[in-house]
Amino acid sequence: MVIKPDADLLSAALDRVVPPVGDLPGAGGMGLSEEVIKRCSADDRFNGALNTVLEALPSPNDFMALDDGGRDGALRAVESSHPAAFGLWLDIVYTIYYMQPDVHARLNWHGRSPQPDGNEMPPWDESILSVIRQREPFWRKV
Amino acid sequence: MVWHRGVYAPRKGAIFHLWRALDARIVIPSETGVESVWIPAHRTDTLPSDMTTTDHDPDRTADVLIVGAGASGAAVAASLSEASFDVVCIEQGHWQDSFKYPSADPDFDLKAISSWSINPNKRRLPVDYPTNVEDSAVDPVMFNGVGGSTIMWVAHTPRLHPSDFRVKSQDDVADDWPISYEDLEPWYDLNDHVMGCSGISGDPANPPRSTRPMPPIPIGRDGEMIAGAFDRLGWHWWPSDAYINSTRYGEGRDACNFCGHNMLGCYQRAKASTDLTYWPRAIDQGTELVTGARVREITTDSTGRATGVNYLDAEGIDRHRSARAVVMAANGIGTPRLLLLSDSEKSPNGLSNSSGLVGKNLMFHMFGGASGVFPNHPDPWVGPVANIILSQEFYETDSDRGFLRGYTFQMGRGQGPGAIARGVAGQRAPWGNEHHAILERRFRNTLSLGCIGDDLPEEHNSVTLDKRLTDSSGLPAPKITYRVSENSRALLDHAIAQGTKVLEEAGATEILINPQSRETGWHLLGTARMGNDPERSVVDKNGQSHDVDNLFIVDGSVFVTGGAVNPTPTIQAIALRTADYIINERGDLKA
Repeated sequence: MVIKPDADLLSAALDRVVPPVGDLPGAGGMGLSEEVIKRCSADDRFNGALNTVLEALPSPNDFMALDDGGRDGALRAVESSHPAAFGLWLDIVYTIYYMQPDVHARLNWHGRSPQPDGNEMPPWDESILSVIRQREPFWRKV
Repeated sequence: MVWHRGVYAPRKGAIFHLWRALDARIVIPSETGVESVWIPAHRTDTLPSDMTTTDHDPDRTADVLIVGAGASGAAVAASLSEASFDVVCIEQGHWQDSFKYPSADPDFDLKAISSWSINPNKRRLPVDYPTNVEDSAVDPVMFNGVGGSTIMWVAHTPRLHPSDFRVKSQDDVADDWPISYEDLEPWYDLNDHVMGCSGISGDPANPPRSTRPMPPIPIGRDGEMIAGAFDRLGWHWWPSDAYINSTRYGEGRDACNFCGHNMLGCYQRAKASTDLTYWPRAIDQGTELVTGARVREITTDSTGRATGVNYLDAEGIDRHRSARAVVMAANGIGTPRLLLLSDSEKSPNGLSNSSGLVGKNLMFHMFGGASGVFPNHPDPWVGPVANIILSQEFYETDSDRGFLRGYTFQMGRGQGPGAIARGVAGQRAPWGNEHHAILERRFRNTLSLGCIGDDLPEEHNSVTLDKRLTDSSGLPAPKITYRVSENSRALLDHAIAQGTKVLEEAGATEILINPQSRETGWHLLGTARMGNDPERSVVDKNGQSHDVDNLFIVDGSVFVTGGAVNPTPTIQAIALRTADYIINERGDLKA
């Protein structure tokens, strides 16, 4: 179970992992720490990774006292000491960040689920085979 | 040009019965001048997920009991039941409702890495079993449910080459198969039509074959970029055969709408999965399908013949089903696991294991490759993810390359930004100040060439029973031991170098190398191989156990070598052929 101080720590860490860009704040500034905690709580694997990362970081007060370079250094230390958990944590953070409509808008991506609308199937154009059709069969006979 | 009907049914057998159950006819010209008849699926208004099979007597002795309702089990069930065999199938998973697949869910990307992960060790549903992969370079991936892994496959459906069946004769490595490409060809053809194949004839890298029931899936602007590069290099490429509808085909199955996420289950039902293709036929013909039931043991009598199975039902109650024959269709990990679990005084090393080869010679297909970042926004999230085009320029052995056998290139598309951030070519986007610039460069601009390399059998690559890890029923889980051979490493290195050339020729400005993917153990092969010699194989050329004459294996376990293509059409062709053997040669198994 992640408690509130850790949520603040997480938010600060998220801002370094996915920092502000353009007119968007970082992942922490977007308020994604609660979302990350909620989603992780539904999956033991993710929850374990989240807790491992937060426990390996300096205490919330110490982390908050660091400048950006210092926070990055602390995160790199965790990445080095707990690579599997850190990688899994990054996966969930990235996934949640790129589920956000504001992020889709900045990337000029539709962001909708793949179905039911899908996309338009282009026409089949057999002329693309004109070169390869000139090649003689070359499969190996037995 | 000769037109004739019944080319697939030279005698009374499975195919005859499959045809009889169908309701319409189309005549298809074949590439060889011989034309054949295909009859598409009959219509019903019943969704597969609504199907129930409750009117069977569970205390009867069925003719045939099948373990596993995936690609091969479904094909056998349809064939045997249409030939009036009394068939029961036991499946540990459940029916899927295509309208509830995550592709229509706003959280689809999150589900793709959790409850809908391809990896059962990540998905961890009660119907899954864990695998110990501590000593494996590859993680096996699969889906447990009616349809099996065809629910989550990409449905890329090339065939083995004739040379794949003769690697010992031709390359003095591994073993020849006891069957040939020609033996399987009619069953490949039938399976193409039942599953629904989109594709086009004329591929110079493969023998001529009958016309597919649907035209190819268009390869898109991004596909044309890569195809053009192959053309300029003078290298082979061809539009991929796919069990994905390019037009409406089959019961309630629409054409593909290019959603780009065919691994998440197909909401559109355009991608063939056996819950949509073979299973409605099997159930129509009387097959009993028991879901949510985990087989824990094949039972035998005092002579060692199979008598049925013991299983745990959906409530966890231990039950027994009797049958005159047992067919294993539980994939190249599930089948050896269950054979090893079925040891007895008469078979202390596991059932059908007098050769000691049950679980040995595991093959996955090594998968690696290169990805290219392009400057011109090919928008590669539109269309099937990995069945676009293939190249078999380097499929056959060339001793100058420094390795035996060869590989297929398979073009792959990118997906949404979350997937790109999690990794292109296995490389996660960096966090921190570099993140946005790199993500934006890769997103909407990344295409890949994956290499499926021939994976030759080695006995130390194996499935055994883990001494500690168990599934949710307390049964020992499989332990996977697998390492990459020197031949495979050399093959992958060659593929990466050649793939880089293609991507650069296509205009890529940045290349990302994936030396070897870990989570790509889709192809579970070789762990109960077929052969003529009982000391060097587990089953004969018909899939019948050398040791137990009423035990058959029809999944990827029976592969002698891996070939260098996605194996499902071959698995299903083998299953159909075994069913035909049972129908025609094993009348003793029918009440």
